[in-house]
Amino acid sequence: MYLPDFEYYAPTSLWEACGLLAQFGPRVKVIAGGTDVLPKMKQDILAPEVLVSLKNLSQLTDIFYKKGKGMVIGARATHNNLVNSPALQEKYLSICEAAHHMANNQIRNMGTVGGNIVNAVPSADLPPILIALGAVVKLFGTDGERTVLLEEFFTGPGKTVLKQNEILTEIVIPDQSFTGSTYIKFGLRRSGALAVVGVAVAVSMQGDICKEARIVLGAVAPVPMRAKKAEELLKGKAVTQELLEEIGVCAAGESKPISDIRGSAEYRKDMVRVFTKRALSKAIKEGHC
Amino acid sequence: MEAKTRTSYTEYKPEEISEFKIKDEKYSVIGKSVPKMDGRVKVTGQAKYTGDLKFPNMLVGKILHSPYAHAKILSIDTSAAEKLPGVKAVITHKDVPSLKYGISPARWDENIFCIDKVRYVGDKVAAVAAIDEDTVYKALKLIKVEYEELPAVFDPIEAMKEGAPQVHDEYPGNINTEIHQNFGDVEQAFKDAYYVRTDRFVGNRTYHAPIEPHSAISIWEDGKLTVYCSTQSPHYFQYYIAREFGMKMGDVRVLKTFVGGGFGGKLEPTALEFAGAVLARMTGRPVKMFYDRAEMFTHNRGRHKVVMEITTGVDKNGKILGVHANFVQDGGAYTSLGIATAYYAGAMLTLTYDFVNYKFDMTRVYTNLPACGAQRGHGAPQPRYAFECHLDHVAEHLGIDPIELRLRNARRPNTITPNEFGVQSCEMKACLEKAREISGWQDKKGKLPKGRGIGIATGSFVTGAGYPIYRTDLPHASAMIKVHEDGTAATLYTGATDIGQGSDTILCQMAAEAMGFTYDNMKIVTADTETTPHDFGAYASRQTLMSGSAVKQAGEEVKAQVLEMASVLMEVDVDNLDCRDAVVYCKSNPEIRKTFGEVARTFFVKRGPLVGRGVYAPPKLGGKFKGAPVGTSPAYSFAAQISEVEIDEETGEINVKEVWDVHDCGMVINPALLHAQVHGALYMGMGETVWEEVVFDNKGKLLNGNLGEYRMPTSLDMPKIVSELVESSEPAGPWGVKEVGEGATIPTMGCFSNAIYDAMGVRVSSLPLSYEKVWRALKEKREKEGIQK
Amino acid sequence: MKAITDKNGVKRYLITLNVNEDGYTRVVKANTTLANVLRDELDLTGTKKGCELGDCGSCTVLLDGKPVDSCLVLAVEADGCDIVTIEGLAQNEKLDKLQESFVKNAAVQCGYCTPGMIMSAKALLTRKPRPSEEEVREAIAGNLCRCTGYVNIVKAVLAAANEQ
Repeated sequence: MYLPDFEYYAPTSLWEACGLLAQFGPRVKVIAGGTDVLPKMKQDILAPEVLVSLKNLSQLTDIFYKKGKGMVIGARATHNNLVNSPALQEKYLSICEAAHHMANNQIRNMGTVGGNIVNAVPSADLPPILIALGAVVKLFGTDGERTVLLEEFFTGPGKTVLKQNEILTEIVIPDQSFTGSTYIKFGLRRSGALAVVGVAVAVSMQGDICKEARIVLGAVAPVPMRAKKAEELLKGKAVTQELLEEIGVCAAGESKPISDIRGSAEYRKDMVRVFTKRALSKAIKEGHC
Repeated sequence: MEAKTRTSYTEYKPEEISEFKIKDEKYSVIGKSVPKMDGRVKVTGQAKYTGDLKFPNMLVGKILHSPYAHAKILSIDTSAAEKLPGVKAVITHKDVPSLKYGISPARWDENIFCIDKVRYVGDKVAAVAAIDEDTVYKALKLIKVEYEELPAVFDPIEAMKEGAPQVHDEYPGNINTEIHQNFGDVEQAFKDAYYVRTDRFVGNRTYHAPIEPHSAISIWEDGKLTVYCSTQSPHYFQYYIAREFGMKMGDVRVLKTFVGGGFGGKLEPTALEFAGAVLARMTGRPVKMFYDRAEMFTHNRGRHKVVMEITTGVDKNGKILGVHANFVQDGGAYTSLGIATAYYAGAMLTLTYDFVNYKFDMTRVYTNLPACGAQRGHGAPQPRYAFECHLDHVAEHLGIDPIELRLRNARRPNTITPNEFGVQSCEMKACLEKAREISGWQDKKGKLPKGRGIGIATGSFVTGAGYPIYRTDLPHASAMIKVHEDGTAATLYTGATDIGQGSDTILCQMAAEAMGFTYDNMKIVTADTETTPHDFGAYASRQTLMSGSAVKQAGEEVKAQVLEMASVLMEVDVDNLDCRDAVVYCKSNPEIRKTFGEVARTFFVKRGPLVGRGVYAPPKLGGKFKGAPVGTSPAYSFAAQISEVEIDEETGEINVKEVWDVHDCGMVINPALLHAQVHGALYMGMGETVWEEVVFDNKGKLLNGNLGEYRMPTSLDMPKIVSELVESSEPAGPWGVKEVGEGATIPTMGCFSNAIYDAMGVRVSSLPLSYEKVWRALKEKREKEGIQK
Repeated sequence: MKAITDKNGVKRYLITLNVNEDGYTRVVKANTTLANVLRDELDLTGTKKGCELGDCGSCTVLLDGKPVDSCLVLAVEADGCDIVTIEGLAQNEKLDKLQESFVKNAAVQCGYCTPGMIMSAKALLTRKPRPSEEEVREAIAGNLCRCTGYVNIVKAVLAAANEQ
């Protein structure tokens, strides 16, 4: 297959990288793992004249918990880095599980969480769980640094609020009081499949009362979306099978899926109902984040 | 790095036979799971496939494809491409022979490059040869083609209607092939029947998707063309390339190194061979052509979409009295092997069950989509799916167990089908009974918890086609064996083509067995039209029986010469001698013996080369009606497959828990390789049943021409597979062999669909049986029951 | 990374790859993939191209010990990295246990997926010498095989693991 010609830079600092982004403007694209950018270039979807590689920015790969700040995930951490991270396994196993759903082992060894977020595919597996846990992302640019709530980061399929000269550097999960969270992916085969529907939930249980819940749907709207009406319905209630069914129906109603080669909108809506129920059950039962 | 261990070299001394005992077992070499001949080179990465080969001064070439499904070519401007540094040649239809070709002689409807119009997205327009891949791709982008888009048609039913766009002017109504076969009296049978039922099903386009993409390297030397290619049949490639360029076959050498899977898609020469040959001639340099994965999908030649209507009449015991199969196939823009596919679709339905009255109507239609051809099972799998689902409905109506119904109809050995196929060995009944036993059917059918089901289907396939693809009196297979001068090795020369199934291995086993030699000392040279004797190649599951017959004969000829020489040397009557495991021994007194090597060496010294030759042609088979040859075969395999599935009621997700396959494939030359073939065939059947489907947009462009969205099962999607055999021996096959390579793909679709019906009471009548389709069927069932409440 | 521009304005980058414990220095264009460098520049054609989009895994190599699709790695990105290809598994004449097991257990048919499959399995057995069947299937889920249904492949990997 054909990769168009491009110039290549591998800056050694964030500042240098952003400088290159500012210099080349819309002709440039950032490459991290390459598992999204290169296939797109091979299929004539992207043709950047310049690629700026993040490979020398080693400080962006760490995953650690910082008291007072929260769980910090470097943007260059690969999906398998997330799967195997002891810090995440201890505090946020649901993130490890979500990362594990992505593509296959080889892709997970290269594809980064930052790249996955910036690529902004509606069916991506990490954003829903990260949003459910209240993640924020740090953006570094020539104009300075800023923090954006991940939930507000996406504006459409492939579109985000990331400015042309900015690089996403880290994801932070601030401390919160959820007692359980999980992500369920429904794909058409057990590996190497994009989500037909993805549901991430985070719940704060007290006995069998759900004090608070977040329900985030993937692959059924232009961006990962919170099913806020369904969340409201759950808030403060005792969880029963009937309630879960009601919530599933509500979340389905809020979703806005399209029909494509992986499934019809009608099917996806019903799958939102099913997997919202199942994700909530699972998160409550397993009782870990 | 480990310290190098010194390899010690000692002088080679011919073996002394100290201990020698005549083995108890019937055969020395065949029937054993010997390791593959090519295993080691493949696990080390040494095995070179066509795309891995490099020749000095070699250029790279690629084809320019049409972006439109149906369009007139107004002009082609190659000037910019030609000027690009590194480009050595750019060709279009003006530079190549305009002789139409195709693998089906009855329909030569394809040009190397389209002349006046393109007929599908991916049709061939031009080609470029340049110094490297990068330059070739750039050059392709610089070729300017002006098209005038024409209305296109993408559905076979639509294509037959009045006023539909015509794909080929010579074929009005877009009818590529029309078949009407009538045996016995189906109308009367339906009148006499206790129950007559009609069901409709649709089978969809799927694709072989071998992991190795097509590749071809053309090299000219002094008017002789050599083509290395990823081929299932060097012979057919040689024949059609020679024909296209008006050359003597002897001046066209086609050979292969290793092939990464074919499954029917690499049986006919492609634009890569034809255009590559022209580019190589023009530039005077070797040219390597290849398809990338997306181009593999558009080249296609895969499974046809087929719309099927089946009607069966049975008596009150479920005995089939008559069957009417009425099908329409979407053949795509060219014929490929499609005429045979159209015939096979109906021909194979008469094999597993014994009935006398049969009517088969088929129309194969042209559409503006990639051409369809032969894919594992060649036309038979989807009709089998339709028939097996249909029979389960018949069984249900009559209150008969599905296996019982099939047992009542199972074909017996030494019978003739209504379409005049002679079946000798046939263990259909034994397959059904064994499948029933090992799957635990009696304890499961009707007794599984809700959402779980068990289903059965049968299948049968030819062991080699009775007639070659083009009309010729050439034998179907031939072989030569040359014993090395010192008798330490023997080389088998055969045109038989190993595409991964292991024919190199089993043919060496057969050669060694026939000669009384050892497998370990066999060498093999194959699939090279210049050095190996003629063989039609790997398709229709022919090589074990057909190539094997020729190999057996060649081996026996060697053995006869060895024994004759030995009788002189050992002063023993030749009838009192035998040879096994490379030892020639006196039958009445095995102490008197000599090594094969010693006898062979003496033979060479006294008489010259020790060579054996073999040839095989099937007897004249089949009836005299139109299309009678298709489906004829010296022998047929039979199989019964049972699957147990679990359906997620809410999502329609199909979880296949276990599959049992019981095969009647005659004598087994290499059990490990045989079961490996069953695994693979079943895997492809599975993929096509639930996950695989080629999808187009409304302009005829492929939507899923990649291995991410064309979903083949991964290692995580596989159920437990149990592969078993029944005892069987086929008189027409050497040592009683029959086929297995395609047989296990055939029952799978019906088997799964029946299991799903058993689990949920819903029938999905179009392939693939996707989760969404199951979900929809369940939804409709619930709504119907809700209304009835 | 040093780069040179030729008289036509084409820019090439100087890279060093450690492949199978040998260092190679090459000059490549930025759009050259690792798969193409290995196959075209270093003649290591054991690594195959089946789809070039990261869907089939037949181009799998170990990059700093991790299995990756080399068709999706730019050669310039692999500069300075340790790469192991199928050609690097056998030690002199001795086959790796996995390679022997594949031959012994009839896990090779057409063989095109085999190098990538073995590399994925090798990476698994290196980090987890006694995997479960589920873990084996997980490790090779990114390697598509059209011939074997994975039955004998899984069998071969488990057999190799049990032998260690």
